[in-house]
Amino acid sequence: MTELIERAGAGPDAAGAPPVELSMQQAVNRALRTLLAEDPDVLVFGEDVGALGGVFRVTDGLQREFGDKRVFDTPLAESAIMGMAVGLAMNGWRPVPELQFDGFAYPAIDQIVNQVARMNYRTRGSAPMPITLRLPSFGGIQAPEHHGESLEALFAHTPGLKVVAPSDPAEAYTLLLQSVRSDDPVVFMEPKARYWDRRPVRLREPSDPIGTSRVVREGSHATLVAWGAMVHKCLQVAELAAEDGVDLEVLDLRWLKPVDTAGLAASVSRTGRAVVVHEAPLTAGLGAEVAALVTENCFRDLSGPVQRVTGFDVPYPAGPLEGQYLPTIDRILLAVQRTLEY
Amino acid sequence: MAEESITFTLPDLGEGLVEATVLEWQVAVGDVVARNAPLVEVETTKSAVVIPSPQAGRIAELHAAEDQVVPVGDPLVTFAVEAADEAPRAGIVGRVPPEEARPARRVRLKPPTA
Repeated sequence: MTELIERAGAGPDAAGAPPVELSMQQAVNRALRTLLAEDPDVLVFGEDVGALGGVFRVTDGLQREFGDKRVFDTPLAESAIMGMAVGLAMNGWRPVPELQFDGFAYPAIDQIVNQVARMNYRTRGSAPMPITLRLPSFGGIQAPEHHGESLEALFAHTPGLKVVAPSDPAEAYTLLLQSVRSDDPVVFMEPKARYWDRRPVRLREPSDPIGTSRVVREGSHATLVAWGAMVHKCLQVAELAAEDGVDLEVLDLRWLKPVDTAGLAASVSRTGRAVVVHEAPLTAGLGAEVAALVTENCFRDLSGPVQRVTGFDVPYPAGPLEGQYLPTIDRILLAVQRTLEY
Repeated sequence: MAEESITFTLPDLGEGLVEATVLEWQVAVGDVVARNAPLVEVETTKSAVVIPSPQAGRIAELHAAEDQVVPVGDPLVTFAVEAADEAPRAGIVGRVPPEEARPARRVRLKPPTA
């Protein structure tokens, strides 16, 4: 099999080190190696993460490097994986479980919502849950049913959880370090469609606090708000819009709980218009939360109502229909036109 | 990047049809097509149908001219695709999404006047 995961030196680069070319898979792998090396309490486990190296090769080589007591395979039982994470966390470990696909989180919802998210609260702070659930998420790879869900609104709605979705390899590296080092439980949603996104990456230690967004492209006419794979799509839209003389800002929200209300408001106050883009269905999606926050914080600066470009209120479709379901460049452009014309 | 050729033969488009007439190619040699993109319109004794592309790849050769009758099972089109060993792998489930060199669009924007 093609060796996708580079085996060059692990660990974060010193400041000023040259960038290395990495895919998001490799960047996540690097982050896990950094974390396993720096903290003997970090444990990586899940279905096929050990001997196989993960179905997306993300954990490739980790078991060989760190041994089968720290990187290990579990039975095909998501509830047990998360239940084990709770027990390990209570006993001082720092678990990094993987649920192989977003749709497989549903069997573990009881553990995630009723135990992981609440244990710190229930024990008045004596049993924090420093668990980072790695969840390959969202659509775009024509996978079968249960392999293309967008669960961010469900997790963001659960008190006690933090939720983050990186949009490129460098972000994946830094945000995973930050998530695992946090003593709070974090749902780390890796956008499957961007796993093969290769680019020069500087492996950086986290510097922005948890819960901050980032402007990935500055613009003046409207703000596109996105996370995960939709950030790349919005950057494509911004390039095309620029040809038409429309100057779009792209805000990578990245932390979906807590949401960066200040960063969001700063951007939309500047541009006066907002289009939020996500893969999840429309109704009660996180786009509604973004629209509400914008309205509450930027009402007087708004030139028009917040537009939402989302998936539809249907179960995630079979692979060949993905293109009809996921937000397209044209649907986003039409929403931009609606807000410009309002 | 090493390429391999994959030839797609005319399938039986109905119950026991033996041939079809090529009406119109919707791709040309050199085009890069996505899976399920319209490939060719053919006419059988029952109806005219558009055959979607069975896979993604670059069109290397069209084996029939328009108005030509093609027997079922004869070559229709040859794709040049990246050899499997060199293409990124999707692991076990799903497909690696293709990165379009230039994203396609139909909508054009009118810049704000204010």
